[in-house]
Amino acid sequence: MEEKIKEYVVNFIAPRLEGDGGWVEFKGFDGRILSLRFRGECSKCLILSRCADWIREMIKKEFDLDVKVDCERKRPYFQDV
Amino acid sequence: MAHIKVQRRSMRPEEWTDLRFNWLKRHIYSYQSEIDCLEIRDARQTGENSYEFYSDSYRPLHRGDMYFTPDGTAFIRGRVSVPHEIRDKKVCLKLKTAAEITVKINGKYVGGVDPNREKINIYPYVSLDEPLEIEMVGYNRSKPDDERNPESLSVRGCRQIFEGCYFVVVDEQIQSLVYDFETLINIRDSEDFDEDYRHFLTKELNSAMNLVSFDDDGSVSGAEEAGKYIEKNIYENKTYKGSGKVALVGHSHLDIAYYWRRIHAVQKNMRTVLIQLRLMDEYPELKYTHTQPYLYETLEKYYPEIFEELKEKIKSGNFEPVGAMYVEPDCNIPSAESLIRQCYYGQKTYKRMFGFRVNSAWLPDVFGNSWILPQILKKSGVDYFVSNKMSTWNDTNRFPHNSFIWRGIDGSEVIASVPPTHFITWNEPSQIADNWNAFEDKDTGEETLNMFGYGDGGSGCTEEMLELYKREKRLSVMPEINIEGGKEYLEKNLEATKDKLETWDGELYLEMHRGTFTTKSLLKKLNRKLEYKFRNAELLSVLSGQDNQSEIDSLYKLFLINQFHDILPGSHIRPVFEDAVKDLEKIDSSLDKIISSTGDENYFNTLNFSRDEVEFVEDENGNTERLGKNGFFTSTGLASLTGGKIENRNTDDYYWFSTSGGKVKTPYYEIIFSPDGSITSLTEISDGRQWADGEFNKIKLFDDRPGNYDAWDILPNYRDKEFSYDVKEKLSLKFADSESAEFSCVLKLKNSEWKRTVRIFRRSRGIEVEENVDWHEKHVLAKSEFNVNILARKARADLTAGFTERDTSSNTSWQKARFETCFHNWADISETGAGLAIITESKYGIGFDKNRMSLSLLRSTERPDVISDMGKHDFCYLIYPHDKGFDESEINKKALIYNVPLVKTDAVNNILPSFSPLYIQCVKRSDDGSVVVRLSEQDGRRGKVKLDRHVRILNMLEDDMKAETDEIDYSPSEIITLSLPNPEKRA
Repeated sequence: MEEKIKEYVVNFIAPRLEGDGGWVEFKGFDGRILSLRFRGECSKCLILSRCADWIREMIKKEFDLDVKVDCERKRPYFQDV
Repeated sequence: MAHIKVQRRSMRPEEWTDLRFNWLKRHIYSYQSEIDCLEIRDARQTGENSYEFYSDSYRPLHRGDMYFTPDGTAFIRGRVSVPHEIRDKKVCLKLKTAAEITVKINGKYVGGVDPNREKINIYPYVSLDEPLEIEMVGYNRSKPDDERNPESLSVRGCRQIFEGCYFVVVDEQIQSLVYDFETLINIRDSEDFDEDYRHFLTKELNSAMNLVSFDDDGSVSGAEEAGKYIEKNIYENKTYKGSGKVALVGHSHLDIAYYWRRIHAVQKNMRTVLIQLRLMDEYPELKYTHTQPYLYETLEKYYPEIFEELKEKIKSGNFEPVGAMYVEPDCNIPSAESLIRQCYYGQKTYKRMFGFRVNSAWLPDVFGNSWILPQILKKSGVDYFVSNKMSTWNDTNRFPHNSFIWRGIDGSEVIASVPPTHFITWNEPSQIADNWNAFEDKDTGEETLNMFGYGDGGSGCTEEMLELYKREKRLSVMPEINIEGGKEYLEKNLEATKDKLETWDGELYLEMHRGTFTTKSLLKKLNRKLEYKFRNAELLSVLSGQDNQSEIDSLYKLFLINQFHDILPGSHIRPVFEDAVKDLEKIDSSLDKIISSTGDENYFNTLNFSRDEVEFVEDENGNTERLGKNGFFTSTGLASLTGGKIENRNTDDYYWFSTSGGKVKTPYYEIIFSPDGSITSLTEISDGRQWADGEFNKIKLFDDRPGNYDAWDILPNYRDKEFSYDVKEKLSLKFADSESAEFSCVLKLKNSEWKRTVRIFRRSRGIEVEENVDWHEKHVLAKSEFNVNILARKARADLTAGFTERDTSSNTSWQKARFETCFHNWADISETGAGLAIITESKYGIGFDKNRMSLSLLRSTERPDVISDMGKHDFCYLIYPHDKGFDESEINKKALIYNVPLVKTDAVNNILPSFSPLYIQCVKRSDDGSVVVRLSEQDGRRGKVKLDRHVRILNMLEDDMKAETDEIDYSPSEIITLSLPNPEKRA
């Protein structure tokens, strides 16, 4: 399942976030917690939790699986605007 | 830990006014009825007008629901009736949103909402007595670019909360009072206005607001009295005087791609146009300027109904196409021919659509402008040039003019306007006053130009801006203001004062965004390659008698779109890069097909001079490899515009060079290499001259953290911190034959591996360097540096139709600021009788400092593209020491041979004179089937070319004959377009 979830994050979720200047990377899935690393615009998004909810909903829809999304923000070293 | 500043004091009068002003805004709508039957269907845009949907059906959409998805488009619909009690009123639709939404009711486009406007007047467009079929399409702008609007900042993000959609009726008295206060509070708080007047406003606004009663039952009264008070005591007060004259020009700058893909610009443009058309219905005084013929084409194609309406508004003088260029391109990196085509296709499109051309280049946001532009503009029917960037973004020097004559490299002149303030403003009094105060050419006595309107899908001017304008016009403290068209402003002011204007003779260098010459290396490489491939394809099509100009035209237009000023410079998100590469690869293969359709038996020289220089000839059976292709090095000697068979006659005999005692001896040089591929000594065999004076061909890695505009900027202090690297494999001889020899080494960087190959030649003074890099550094700028044993205060840099001289000293702040500059095929540093050129096939950024030439190779930025430039890069450059002076060394020819490869073709019939010593920029078919030739003088000379026939000298739009002659008079850096009548018959 981890591979399937990873593939879904890479091929479905990530391109959509990239379309908004965001960036997400798959870190791991332990059967319950999906760990993601957010970069780009996502790293400073004030409402990232809403996006995490959407990812959770999409995974539920695609795999009929309840997951918890754990978000790590990787903020680059430049001015936050 | 962050701390909130706590102020323990009683409220000041102006704060008390502001507080009540916010209360007042709660009462703008006298009636509000929620539309609670809406449905939504989430989608994602996949093409210019195509979508993939997340579900087969709509779902209900209620206030408080989450809507929009990342990179999402939402389709919202509903069938509803207007409540009976307001059907005789001016009913509006209200929807507060962070997205950009267009609204259609009963099949009619009624308008749009976005973060800058929440209300659409629907009463003029639909019958309120009939049921309304509402259809909305929205694109979520998670990264609004008008971040100066604080309200849009607070709502950005991919997922939004639906705040409800309503029928509303506006309380016009309160709305008007709100606009009064908005205008006057802005003046009260602005240091651009007289202190006494601001004090006066503080007092009078408090008095006016005292007439308004906010009752505990939630109602408000006294708005009429407050309005009358303001009328009498403020608007009618003429005691305080302002100064200046400001022309307000409605405009919405639109990036074709940036934090969104090109496909999204189709709808962004449509929404902007629609909203401006609707605003013109309500405010006939609005004059709005709109650029980029490409965008008009998308409107015509996908939204013909709006396009027809647009044409009517052009006729009425409200909507004004401006800007002759097809898109707003980068104006540093594209070649002369590309910039000419921007004008050619742009003007042609306007002419076809509207029956006229425009006389302006409208480029508010481009990152500096090449010195070759004035001539190109002038010969494309453009008299005026407009660009804001130099006045508002320069990081070191204040550009000294706002209105001036811009003199080009060839001496052509256009009238230029660099407005004093930004191109996105929202018509606040303080912005207008700031514009006038910053205007540097007040002594001309004319108006200054202030563009107003939100950009990038923020959809231009708003009702609020026009209401503010009405009020500002009545205030004696304001500059004299008028809403004007772009052409109107330019002709009325600049034409009238042109004799008083000062002249700027040079490029319009932007002292910022210097990294854009280098960011996204692959785009730059494909750009250079395709510019010359277009040249070859068009020329060979003509010479082989094929007529595929219409196919080439559409490929050219796609190419020009990808030269947009946030595409080619590399300042965009990842999907934009992927789209661009896809487009460029498609163009590449299409041009290959066109070229190969002319045959593949022989090699052909498309240059109009003989190829007397060693070059790489692609051949799958070749014995060496360069940039991933097999081939061999030879000097073909192919004459101008001729073809022939070229065979690989190279042998294993490599005794033309020797290696001993750590020295490599060639017919030209004695070279001492370092293990990292750099050169510690480069001695001329003939006279013992030393070319190197310190690090030479040395890879340098610098900490590259501009802090803010990551993809855009290299900071002046970039040399402060340098990184070292190891040599994994020392330089050693890897290949040799009778023409060339290769030495290579491998460098190990922190996260990258870098292979360097240095080539020496039996019959060329050139030393070629090929870099194959697997690049994974972050925030590192890689350069190759050459400390040359030359004393020169000027270096030369190619502009593709002439060259410019750049200072190598930094005595002044202007010289210092140009620590990184743009060049094209070559850069050269020479003293009398000798010099050294760096010739490249894909690089555009270089710095000159004393005798150091610092060639920028790679960057590794993270914003807006997290993985920008990561991965493999292969590129070459040629070090070319010349033992004669620059004038005699034919660097242009050598650089063109380096950049314009031989093509495989046959059955071509040369119908052209050679035109030597001019260079052929292009040979193409014109619309009437005649053959058009574009020539350029690039060596800085003046002279005549006698031809064997009569030709017609044309403008660059190919439709205005200037002369018919068999002798071309040319002057330095001149570009000449001519047509050859019936060349085929002659041949």
